[in-house]
Amino acid sequence: MNSLVIMLLIYFAGAILVYAANKFSAVLRDVIVVLAGLLPVALFFSIPAFEAFQFRIAGFDLFWDLGSLAYIFEALVVVVGAASLVYAISYMKGKKNLGYFYMNFFLSLGSMTGILMSQDLISFFIFWEIMTWSSYFIVVFNGYKTNKIGLTYIFFSALGAYAMLTAIVMINTQTGSTMWNDFFIAFAGMSSHYQLLISILFIFGFGVKAAMMPLHIWAADAYSHSPMAYTATFSGVLSKMGVYGLALVMIKLALVSNHFVFSQVIAWLGAVTAALATIYALIQKDIRKLLAYSSVAQLGYIITGIAVGTAMSFMAGIYLAVLHGLFKAALFMVAGAVEKQAGTTDMHKLRALIRKMPLTFITAMVAIIALAGIPPLGGFVGKWMLYESLIGSNHYFLVIVIFFSSTAAFLYAYRFLYGIFLGQEEEEFAHVKEAPLMMLIPMLFFTVLLIVTGTFPGIILGPVANAMNHGMGFRGVQWEMSVLTNVYGDSIHLSVISTIVVVVFIVFALFLILKGRKGTRYVTTKDIANSGEPVRPEDNYHFALDFYKPFERAMAPLYRFKMSEIYGNISDGLVSFFQFTRRLYSGNGQTYVYYVLLFIVILLVFSNQLINR
Amino acid sequence: MVISPIHYVAIPLLVAFLIPLVAKIGKNWARILPGLTLAYLNFVSVYLMTKVQETGIISESVGGWDAPVGINLVFSPLSGLLVSLITGIGFLVWLYSYQFKNVEKNESQKYFTLLLMLITGANGVILTGDIFNMFVFMEITAISAYALTAFYRHRNGAEAAFKYLLIGSLASTFMLLAIMLLYAQVGTLNMADIASKMDQVSSGMKVTIFILFLTGFGIEAEMFPLNGWAPDAYTEAPGPIGAVFASAVVKAGVYAMARVVFTLFGYGDSPVEILIIMGVITMAIAEFSAFRQEKLKRMLAYSSIGQMGLVIAAFGLGTKAGVFAALFIMVNHALIKSLLFLSGTYMVYHSKEKLIAELNGMAKELPVTAALFAFGALAIAGFPPFSGFWSKVYFLIAAADQKMVFLIIMVLLVTTVEVLYYFKVINRMYFHKPEMELEYRRPSTNALISMFVLTAVILWISFFPDTVMGYIDAAANDLVNRAGYINLVLNR
Amino acid sequence: MMGDIWMTLLGVLVTTLLAFVTGMFYMGASRKITARVQNRVGPPIYQNFLDLIKLQAKDTAIHHGWMQLLGPAFLMVSAVGSLMFIPVLNKGLFFENFTADGDIIFLLYLMVFGSLGMALGAGQTGNPNSAIGVTRGLTQMVGFEIPWVMAIVALILQYHTTNIAEILEAQHRSGVWSMFANPYAFIAALLAAFGMFRYSPFDIVGAPAELASGPVSENGGKFLGTMMSSHAVFAFVKLVLYVDLFMGGADNLVELVIKTFGLYLIPLTYGMVNPRYRTEQAVRYFYGWPTLFGIIAILYAVFY
Repeated sequence: MNSLVIMLLIYFAGAILVYAANKFSAVLRDVIVVLAGLLPVALFFSIPAFEAFQFRIAGFDLFWDLGSLAYIFEALVVVVGAASLVYAISYMKGKKNLGYFYMNFFLSLGSMTGILMSQDLISFFIFWEIMTWSSYFIVVFNGYKTNKIGLTYIFFSALGAYAMLTAIVMINTQTGSTMWNDFFIAFAGMSSHYQLLISILFIFGFGVKAAMMPLHIWAADAYSHSPMAYTATFSGVLSKMGVYGLALVMIKLALVSNHFVFSQVIAWLGAVTAALATIYALIQKDIRKLLAYSSVAQLGYIITGIAVGTAMSFMAGIYLAVLHGLFKAALFMVAGAVEKQAGTTDMHKLRALIRKMPLTFITAMVAIIALAGIPPLGGFVGKWMLYESLIGSNHYFLVIVIFFSSTAAFLYAYRFLYGIFLGQEEEEFAHVKEAPLMMLIPMLFFTVLLIVTGTFPGIILGPVANAMNHGMGFRGVQWEMSVLTNVYGDSIHLSVISTIVVVVFIVFALFLILKGRKGTRYVTTKDIANSGEPVRPEDNYHFALDFYKPFERAMAPLYRFKMSEIYGNISDGLVSFFQFTRRLYSGNGQTYVYYVLLFIVILLVFSNQLINR
Repeated sequence: MVISPIHYVAIPLLVAFLIPLVAKIGKNWARILPGLTLAYLNFVSVYLMTKVQETGIISESVGGWDAPVGINLVFSPLSGLLVSLITGIGFLVWLYSYQFKNVEKNESQKYFTLLLMLITGANGVILTGDIFNMFVFMEITAISAYALTAFYRHRNGAEAAFKYLLIGSLASTFMLLAIMLLYAQVGTLNMADIASKMDQVSSGMKVTIFILFLTGFGIEAEMFPLNGWAPDAYTEAPGPIGAVFASAVVKAGVYAMARVVFTLFGYGDSPVEILIIMGVITMAIAEFSAFRQEKLKRMLAYSSIGQMGLVIAAFGLGTKAGVFAALFIMVNHALIKSLLFLSGTYMVYHSKEKLIAELNGMAKELPVTAALFAFGALAIAGFPPFSGFWSKVYFLIAAADQKMVFLIIMVLLVTTVEVLYYFKVINRMYFHKPEMELEYRRPSTNALISMFVLTAVILWISFFPDTVMGYIDAAANDLVNRAGYINLVLNR
Repeated sequence: MMGDIWMTLLGVLVTTLLAFVTGMFYMGASRKITARVQNRVGPPIYQNFLDLIKLQAKDTAIHHGWMQLLGPAFLMVSAVGSLMFIPVLNKGLFFENFTADGDIIFLLYLMVFGSLGMALGAGQTGNPNSAIGVTRGLTQMVGFEIPWVMAIVALILQYHTTNIAEILEAQHRSGVWSMFANPYAFIAALLAAFGMFRYSPFDIVGAPAELASGPVSENGGKFLGTMMSSHAVFAFVKLVLYVDLFMGGADNLVELVIKTFGLYLIPLTYGMVNPRYRTEQAVRYFYGWPTLFGIIAILYAVFY
């Protein structure tokens, strides 16, 4: 049987089986979850090449095949998906409706696989929508403000999907085919306003999932209020479907070379998304919200990288997309572990968990280093390629905006680590234990993966370059396992950097840790002197409130700009308009008769204009 | 006895009048007999649908004279499809309401009599080849619908029925006026015959007649602004009757309108702007209103109107693709909206106000019903892979082929609103905590069976759309192929 | 092969030692000069060495957890690590180290590495002042990095390379220091340097030292000693970086000392006559003139 179909079947059958199994036994359910999660990983990495699969339904040809770019994203889907599922077993323990939760989880994994293997627009759209509603059902799973958060999500998703659908039917009319490839070929021959309209519609559709300004406002709430086990996949992978679509559209349609201004607008939107989301991330008090905004910001970089569209920036964009999938999954898992063990995700309450959850802290620190782009971990590779490519392609001011947001990202990166793990210890959290093993395994797995990919980014860059050379239309894209080279021909050796950093660190760490004649004694962080006053146990000297007040003051004009307010006004206006249309149905029989008479009179009076035959 | 299209009309009508008599023999017979009748009609559907595939349009004259002199029934792929749909859903509604609240006592007689009458009327409208007969059957449908609206004898029901009656009588007037004018012009009442003589009519008269028909059938087809009756009628009628309204009454109206536009007037060769415009307006206003509704059945009613607007717009495209899409939407809508009405009814069964707000946490109490409702909501909002998606795609493709980008955008924007209000209900059922004591009733076994059958059919269409698309395609050809219809009926 | 490694190691050690000694003397000099300006006698110029010896001799009795223990090591990584990638002298024997990899954007990131690591260490002390200091420092960093990066982007555009050694090369080839080739970039970078050195009026982190200085009370003995040494090395790194980027590097140690010390005096003297800014004032300052110069620098590099 076709290997792609088997992958799909595992996920979709897993969805049904896990729902059924939940009715019988929790153990059986968990076994199925792990099996159906890990099986695709084994399958995916053991099969050297996937065969294409084609069939006809409802008068449409559906054609499934895994492209070289899709291969990268599919790797992300199976890996992060499997890790999140393993994580979910412990994380979701004790919650209700688990059959429902896992069913939708598998459905969204399966639909993402489907999106990536779709070579035709119809199955692409079908899987896209399955992804939308299955993810919706998990976004509202916790039952928190479902009407606000859930409906915002589904509204934007539906708008985006319908924009895409409009483009699809227009393509069908123009080319007589629903294949991606036919569309890519025919695009150049379309009239320019069709070209523009179709690209805008597609970018709108993908921009929603990729949380691009101004379509991002669903993202922060939806990410932060889903169960964290799912958010790892949601923010880490599902948002990348939008990135994948953008990459296809921007590059394959040659928007960068033929519609330069257009691609510039997208690139700037990405950069502004990154900047604004970053400054919003750093004033959040909830770690989930912080991570959610950070996701939006990271997606901004990715969008910019793809929209600028030179070989290097594209590579940077895809690399960052993959890496973001890994470290953001790890970070949301950390958030979930903290939520599960400490019972809150509020940074005003949390403090000093480092000694209670050391392994979680290591995961968090490694992931944060990757996020902040500090060498020697992978985030730096992506950032470096992005900057170099932007400077090399003469986007001088774009690079400044990106740089601003990634510098500001240090602020929330620090706040995340400090807010959860550092600071003064409090009695309230004395009982907190390290996260259970089943949660630690995926977290530590990501930690190792991030460290390895930091020194050897070629693991990711190789497939990316392969995709760019075969399929995306770039020529002669080079890559090396641990050397990066920019457009000017300067290169840096990541293995050298890693070695230096590690050696120097170890030397001084040993120097500091070797205790000399008598060992040092651990003293609780309550036991400090503050301006000469000893701290009593009940005193709270933890700094968490208004953490970045000076920054807020300095950036006050930027904080005044709130997209959600604009949307709020629009939606208020719409709702009152709906109220007006409802009033048209007054419930009064006489009014209705008037309507009928008015209708026929108007029609008769204007009959010549209305029906001109 | 030879199976013929006449059975669709004659048998339910006969049984409807027999019900009071058999009720004297045994009370249960009053509810078993209609079921048997409808089951038989479904058998007829299967038989005739197979036959019509082989032999083409079956034109059956009543009383011995051939068309155009005699009255004839035309079982074409189109009318066959719709009649099968109506009898099928009629049977499921019978199954569903077998143990329904007020139906259990003497009222069941009235209920099933009216149900059969209504199905007779709707079948007649669709099968007849005679324009005056169509009017008569429309009246039968309408009158049974008025009575069913007022079935619960309370104030609101009576008011709704009265409003329906008021506007329905206007519809009759306009239809009759149109038929009179037409008869005066062409001297025949047979539709095929009229169609063949239509070019004799002066264009001014033609337009006037068209407008009269449009208004008359537009009222039954829930076209804005003629649909004031609909929300009240749906709300006040017994729950399963909502399903019948959506799948029979309205379908008959839409069918009549399409027949008039395509066959009688031959407008099908290019887009009929007035239908597109009115269709989109209908859809937009209905969906917007649905968004702000507080009562479940009322919301479903507006949603039904919205779907009909889409159907009208699709017919208005005038192309075969448009007709195909319209019919596909009609089939899906009949099935899915019935499922929504049937499942929704149990959730607000004992509630006085039937508010959506009372559904909070309903999924805990009625997991199966809630799941079916949620499934229906996903399907009708056109979420793939469910069947509503296929029909929507075909509509959009038909519109795109006509280069109507604005239409596409309007329809999709309005659909987003539809998505929102259905998801609002789903949210309430699944994710909200109940604020008060829940009032509901567990569905009886037969009700569950009928809902499951509907679900199975919808799922079948979702995953194997090709199996029904053949029938719909034939039906669309039938409607578009005006000359073929005329020739076949008139035996040329 | 072995010989290469030993030579490399030796080079690293010598460079680090040079940076350390120079940095310590500069710090001593700054204390002396400040004292003279304030009409005090001031400590001798080698006072910092004495302080360091004293600190290293001290024992530490307590700790607050291993993140606190490791904090200063991060600082050292940042300081020594950056030093490895910066050409100290033009084609100097021992000072080449890993300058082939001396990518300027990489350096920007490596230079914040230490502060962040130390910030984590400081965070574990439980002293609220440490976190306050960190937030101030980070906020200020968001301020001064912008004009600083603009200056660097201008240089990259002008010389078509991101490698520091090659920027040096290019200056030599053209015979014009980049501070004259693109004066706006130099001004922007210099103004940004005020923030980077954290002398007043930008000493808002809490004390005239690195982030670590907030919670000194919690970091005694060798921890404070390590911080101080790393600060010395780091000061040297920054100065050499400026000299390399804008003043054509130095051919010998004397020239290097003259140039770096001259440069060092600018923020120092500027600080002596100014009071301290509030954090948001500092950020606004950097987004004013320095950023404007940065923009001009980029435009100049593009169009000139």
